[in-house]
Parts: sequence; C-alpha cells; structure tokens
Amino acid sequence: MSQTLAAGTLIPRNALVWIIISQFALLAPHLTRLPLWLVLVYLATAVWRILVFQGRASFPGRALRALLAVAGFVAIYLSYGNLLGLEPTVALLLIAFSFKLLELVKPKDAYVLLFLGYFICVIGFLFSQDLLLVLYALFTLVLVTTGLVALHRPREDRFRLGSVRLPALMLAQAFPLMLVLFFLFPRIGPLWTVPVKSHAAKTGVSDFMKPGDISTLSQSGEVAFRVQFEGDIPPRSGLYWRGLVFSVLDEGAWRSLRYNELPAGELRQPAVTREGNPLSYSVLMLPTQQNWLYSLRYAEPEQRGILRTSDFRLYSPVEIEEQMQYKVRSWPATPLELELSAWRRQTELTLPAQHNPATRELAQRLRRAAQDDAGFVDAVLRYFREEPFVYTLQPPLLDTQDPMDQFLLQTRRGFCEHYAYAFVVMMRAAGVPARVVAGYQGGEVNPVNRTVIVHQFDAHAWAEVWLQGQGWVRIDPTAAVSPDRIELGLEEAVAGEGSFLANSPLSPLRYRGVNWVNMLRLRYDALTYQWQSWVVGFDGEEQYRLLQNLFGSIRTPVFAGVVLASGALVLLPVAWLLLRRRRPPALPPEQALYLDFCEQMHKRGVTRRPGEAPGSFGRRIALEAPALQEWAHQVTAVFDQLEYSQGSGEPAAHRQQLAHLRQLLRRGPQAQ
Amino acid sequence: MADDRQANGEGNGLRRHFGRWLARRIPPARSVTLDQRRIFIFPSLPGLFFAVLLLLILLTAINYQNNMAYAVAFLLATLFVISTLHTYANLAGLTLHALSASPVFPGQRSQFRVRVQRAGKATHYALRLSWPQGSDSVVSLVDRDSCEVTLYVPVGARGWFNPGRLLLESRYPLGLLRCWTWLDLDLQALVYPRPLITSAPPGVASERPEGTAVETAGSDDFHGFRSYRQGDALRQVHWKGVARGHPPQSKVYGSYASHSAWLDWEAFADASGEHRLSYLCYWVLALERRAEDYGLRLPGVEIAPDSGEAHQSRVLAALAVFQLAGGWGK
Repeated sequence: MSQTLAAGTLIPRNALVWIIISQFALLAPHLTRLPLWLVLVYLATAVWRILVFQGRASFPGRALRALLAVAGFVAIYLSYGNLLGLEPTVALLLIAFSFKLLELVKPKDAYVLLFLGYFICVIGFLFSQDLLLVLYALFTLVLVTTGLVALHRPREDRFRLGSVRLPALMLAQAFPLMLVLFFLFPRIGPLWTVPVKSHAAKTGVSDFMKPGDISTLSQSGEVAFRVQFEGDIPPRSGLYWRGLVFSVLDEGAWRSLRYNELPAGELRQPAVTREGNPLSYSVLMLPTQQNWLYSLRYAEPEQRGILRTSDFRLYSPVEIEEQMQYKVRSWPATPLELELSAWRRQTELTLPAQHNPATRELAQRLRRAAQDDAGFVDAVLRYFREEPFVYTLQPPLLDTQDPMDQFLLQTRRGFCEHYAYAFVVMMRAAGVPARVVAGYQGGEVNPVNRTVIVHQFDAHAWAEVWLQGQGWVRIDPTAAVSPDRIELGLEEAVAGEGSFLANSPLSPLRYRGVNWVNMLRLRYDALTYQWQSWVVGFDGEEQYRLLQNLFGSIRTPVFAGVVLASGALVLLPVAWLLLRRRRPPALPPEQALYLDFCEQMHKRGVTRRPGEAPGSFGRRIALEAPALQEWAHQVTAVFDQLEYSQGSGEPAAHRQQLAHLRQLLRRGPQAQ
Repeated sequence: MADDRQANGEGNGLRRHFGRWLARRIPPARSVTLDQRRIFIFPSLPGLFFAVLLLLILLTAINYQNNMAYAVAFLLATLFVISTLHTYANLAGLTLHALSASPVFPGQRSQFRVRVQRAGKATHYALRLSWPQGSDSVVSLVDRDSCEVTLYVPVGARGWFNPGRLLLESRYPLGLLRCWTWLDLDLQALVYPRPLITSAPPGVASERPEGTAVETAGSDDFHGFRSYRQGDALRQVHWKGVARGHPPQSKVYGSYASHSAWLDWEAFADASGEHRLSYLCYWVLALERRAEDYGLRLPGVEIAPDSGEAHQSRVLAALAVFQLAGGWGK
C-alpha cells in the first residue's frame, strides 16, 4: 500500500513529452518570421531537457539561466533592431517559452509553460487568421490542453497517445458555448494602442513605379482581394481596379502626387454627374500595409471612414494591417473631370526636360499627322499594334537616362508598365494631359460562390488621357499589343513564353488545367471568402445586424436570456453525461456479514467502537462478555480470512468460508 | 477527545462554526458516498492565473480587433466552465470505507486504513487523501474498482485518538479547480499508555530467570489443537479443518513458561494514576519480551495470566482505556 508520497510534486514523463510536442507545434506557424538561431535554441533546449530526464545532464544553474536570458534578449535585439514591434515581442515570448523548458521541474513551472503556450497560440492570429491556420491553431490548443491533463495523471511514465482523448472531448464540449459567446460578446474599440507588425512587407502595388516593378509583382500567385458583386459580374474587360494614379515622373519612376503638393483648391474631389446604372459590390482586401483601396471607376464608398481623393480613388486614412471589407458603388459610365483646372492640366503635362528625346520627337510627329487628340491616341495605339512589340513577363533591363527611347526603338519587349509609361510620355510630349493608373485588371470568377478573385499577377498599369468633352478616358496600350491579356488574362497572354508563375512551381494556380485540382482550389477559395467575410470580418456592425435579425430588437433581458439559455443548453448534456446517477457500490458480502455480527453484538450489550479493528473488538468481547468469546473468535477468524485472501484465494474455498460465516451468524452464540 | 482535533485547537470561532456546520452537512459515517452535498469546488491558484490569462487574451482580442483571439478567449473560458463538471465528476460517486486504525504508543504514528471505491467504470485520477498533520497519499482508480489507502497520523495522549476529518481532494483534469471534501469516517486509534521504566513490582522477577523461557509459536514441538484466537499466526491455523467447514482451530506448540506474574494497579501505590499505567505498561512489554506469563489487575478489570501477542494487545488495550470518560463504549 505504499504510495509515492511525492506523486503530486513531480511531472510525469507522459506530460513532459506532450509539453515538448506542443512547444514545437506552437513554433511551426511562426517559423517564417523567426531567425534561424531561435529555432536552433528551441531544439537545443528540448534536447537538453530530455538529457536531464534521462539523467545524463543537469538543470542549468541560476547563473547560467540568467546568462541565457540576457543573451536571448541581446540576440533578439540584434536580429530585429528593436524590441517593441510585434515580431520581436513574439520572438521574446518564444525564447522565454523555450528557456522555461530548462526550468521545468515542478507542476508550477508546467502551468507557466502551458499558459504561455495558450498565449503564443493567440499571438499567431495577429499575423494571419487564415482558415487552415486557425484549424492548425485548434490542433495546438488540443496539444497544450493534453499537456495540462497529462500533468494531472500521476505516475504515467510512458508516452500515451490516448491522453489526447479527454482534452479533445472537453474542447469539443466547450465549442458550442464558445460560438454563442463569439457572436454575442459586445465588440468594442481598442482600449489602447498596441505594438504593430513593424516588419511585415508591404504587398501589392506600390506608390512608386519604374519599369519592371509590376512584372515582378506578377510573379506572385497570392490573392490581393476578392469581390462579391450584387447582381451580374461585368465583363472581364471592364474590370479595371484602380488603386493608384501616377501623375509625376521623377527620376525615371512614376509616382503619385503627395498630399502636400496639392494646392488648397485641388484637395477635394471635383464634382461629377453620375451616369448610367451603378454596380454594387463589396471588396474583401487582404492586408497590404498600404493606404489605398481598389475600386472600379467612378466609385463612391458605402460606408464611413473611407476618403475620396482628387484623382477619383478611394483611400483609407490608416494603413491596412488587417483584412478589410468595404462596400462600394460604381458608375462606370460617369465622365470624370470634364473641366480641367489650369494647375491640373499643367501637372498632367509635365515631363522632365531632356529625357527621351527620340520618344518626344516620335510623339510630336504622330500628333502632327493626326487631326485631333483622339486621332493622335489612335495613332499611338496603332503604332504599338503594328510595330513588332512583344508583351512579356521577362522584359530586358532598360538604362536610366532614356529608357523609353531604348524601349520604343530598340528592345520593344515590355510588360504593361512599359507600355503605359511610353504611352503617357508620348501623350504629354504632344501636349495631351495624361497619367499612369496602376491597380489590377480582370480577376478570376469563382463559379462556386460567384466571387471575383483578384491575384497579384493581375496587377496592371494603364493610362488615362484627358480629352475635351469626355474628361479622363481610360486607354490601355497593353490591349493594343496583347489583346489576350485583357480578354483572357495573364496566363494565356504569356502562355507561349512559359513564364507564368515560373518561380512557384507548386502553386495550385499553375494547375488550373487539372480539373480536380482547380475545383478543389476554387472550393477552398469560396470557403476562405465565407470565412474571411463572416468570421474574421465579424464586427460590431455585423453583430448588430445579426442580433436584430435573430431577436427583432436588442434588449438587455432578451440578451441575458439568450446567454443563459444557451449556456444551460450546452452545459446540461455534459453534466448529465458526467454525473448521471450511479448505483452506490455494494459492500463485499463478508463485510456485510461482519456488520450484521456487530449489530448482533450490539444487541447483546457490546458495541463496536468506531474504527475498532475486528481483532481488538474480538478481544474486548472476550473481556466484557466471556460467554460470547468463542463465537466471536470464530466469526472474527473467518472474517479475517476472507478479508485477507480477497481475490487471491481459490474461489471454492472462498465460497465455503462465506457459507461458514453465514452459518455461524445464523446459529448465534447459543449453539456453542 | 475533541481536544485532539487540530481544527478546533485554535479556538477560532469561525472555524468552530465551520466545524459544526460541516458535522451537520457531512455527519460521521463508516462509509460515505460522495455527492453534491459533500463536495466543494473552487478555483485553484493556477485557476486564478488562468483567469488572468483569459483576461490578457481578451485584451489582446479587443486591442487588435482580432476575432480569432476572441474565439480562443471564449473557448478557454468555456473550457474552464466545462472543467468544473469534469473535476466534480472525478470525486462524485466515490465511496470511502473506514477500514481500521492500528493501536500505537504515544509519539508514534497510527496506521489508518481506508478503502476508496468507485461506482461505475468511470476513471478517477489523482485523488489525494490526507489527515491534518498526517501523511498524504495520491491514488487513481483507472483499471481497478477500489483500492486501499494507508495513512499515518501522529497520535496524542493515551485513550482514543480521533484524527479529525479526512481531506479528499483532486484537481484533475486541468488543475484549474480544486475539488475537495472533509469526511469524518468515524475512525479512531487506540493509544496505549507511555511506557515508563521502573523497578520490578512485587512478585515479578527483576531479571529474566535463566532457562525458563522457550520459544512458543514456530517451535516444531507440536502439542495439540485449541480454538482459533484473534492474533494467532496464520500458519498456526489448521486450514484443512476450516476447509472442511469446522470452526477454525490453531495448532499449539510446546511452551514451557515456568513463571507467571500478576501486574497489579496497587503495586505502585505511591505513583499517580497515569504513572501507574505507564509503569504497568513498561512491565507488560518487559514480561512479554521475556515470554513470561502475566496477568493484569486493575480496579474492575482482571485478565488472567497468559502470554503472546494477542494477550499483550488485550492487556495494553485495558490499560489504554482505563478510567477514561466513556471507557470502552462511549
């Protein structure tokens, strides 16, 4: 019967293994954001801890632990350059998590470690709330909880896979109530400012474009945004998603006008008269770490908090660090800026002096041959179409002095930004106001849920020219060179070249030809859209709408009632499962018989003391009631036999002894 | 006897009140099945830290406007609530049976035996049993239906020792909640008088007489049968007879004790009551060691001379309860 007295103060081996497993599982989603040395530290501490367990190493001393902690801090500072952003914070948490393993001696340490594990799981969501990642995080929650459960099963000295059952069951039982709380818990604004992702790369189209930029972006198969139209999806050739307008050519690169470059009178968006039928749609944008939003022209936001710029774009006052969903209405037929201000005309005509002389000369020659500005535009497009220009994802590098001269007259191989660049330079050289517009063109219609998926490789640059009486007119010189790009998309346009997503051989987008791969991808994308817009994007407004739809009005009693009722609904089945009435265990027959004997003795005047062992009781009977001595001796002897042989003796002998005891009790002492 | 209870020793009014309330709620019983009247549950210290962690996750969710962080906060909060039921279920339905408490001398630790038994086939992990001031033991019922637990508790003065209430607690499965009960299993240990050395009383040889004592049990010199008596060695029992349904009998071996003495209360007339018992106790042990027969005479009690373990226990028990309020019966 000797029990291990220290059982409550040790960490069972099973728990230790689960803790180490969960540590590595928690590390995995952060791998891409971490320096390699941190991963090595992780491995080293795990190996060290296992050696300690095997008795081949000892725990580090206090001084060494302090040294390691300081070294960890310094190394993270050196790796990230600061300690305040989100990434270094995560790295610090992870290294603390790893070092804590070397202090894992008592259950108290295990609690610290596992609670830290829960928190690290949450921190992962600040970087991505992708559906697959969330499912993985749920898996890590099960692992951490398994560590916690295993910690409370003493003396489990072998790794048991079965330990995962109870925690998985408990989390499953917790899930329904979690959903209720998720949808009912009031969403409030941030309480204070928090560290942000300082190291996250800006993605998507940048506000600075030189030849080669967009062709680089087009190597990526990432999703930029998804659009859900109310009603029909416009034809592909109408899907020009405007994000940026480049009005300034500066040192060989196009850029947009800065806010402080705008005169006071030019800050507001010029008034327009809306024409035609509007398109209604909502855009679910993935984080870009930039401010501009994408829309079809002419767009008006359907919600507050989005600005309209003087060049007819939508703009977010804060950088988009989390996914963002916004609703827009667009009137594509609306003419933009029928009257051009002098400042605007001047700005949209400016070219740096002396650059690209041959291009200027060509433009002026074509303009002289044309009747008006519109005819000149047609002449330039014809020039692109008829001369042997090639649309390619792999354009040659251009020199910085006169890049367009080199492009137009020598290389003649370029991507959309080359054509847009050359076109706008020619327009301006001939005195036609023009500018480069950048964003995305087209998109893939997902037949599963009718969303338009716009990928990074749909990035595009085109031009707008200002024509008298028409305002800003969209001209896409790329369409003149490669009509396929606009009608069918990039993949078909560069099919002969084999350069589509050349750097990502495993991207499922490359296998759109394989039917089941493509269907799987599209289904997952549809799921992602639902997930991102309904779950990840669930906010106070959505909540208000949902509750109003469900309960008509939102009153406190209704709200409290729903919370309590759903809580009870979820907890009661669990309680029933765990606590349904069990039959109290029956006493073993010999004990019942002995209690019967005690009862008989009580009637005869000798009462058994609480806790009195049968032996002492028997001796006392001999002392106090010698007449009963013999009977009591016999009963006690047989009872003792039965008690001590419990289960170990022969069943036949056991039965015989029981029968004997029964007989003794029936006969009573008189028979002696 | 209540003085022996550690809980009441402080004289703390609140604690006394709690003790009385507990006595009403969980009355003393030799067998107790745990149900909601008897089980208490409250967050443990790690549970409070877990609540702080939940708050931290919630703050992260609010400040980063992160829905998945909200989801984890709610999932873990609900897990906490669910674990209340699981922790409770780990104790519910268990039955504790008092088995025995071994008699000891003052200053020693009495051995308390308790059986823990489960009702169904549900597993019960990490059940910690302890008496105040005593040893503790952690048991699990996983692939067995019951188990016996032995706990050691240091005893007080001569008489019946009440160890107080047995604490049964568990934090399984998550350690966030502590679930416990205080049970009075009605187990008491007999405490013998403290033996004190003194000179031999009249009629008892102060030295061991030479050549008189012969080993009794275990000798090869078979003498005959007599009725089984509590305390007889198991190998002494005539098992063949028991198997045939006869009353158990013990084989008796040769014994040549040559001397028998009476240990008398009146022999130490100049000592106080407790001292007399201590002296008698010393001589019981001494004579038993010499394997001499001895009898005991106390006012109202007389035990005929004999020797052996069972006889010694009977004599010591008589000394232990002599002139106690309540005596044997209470």
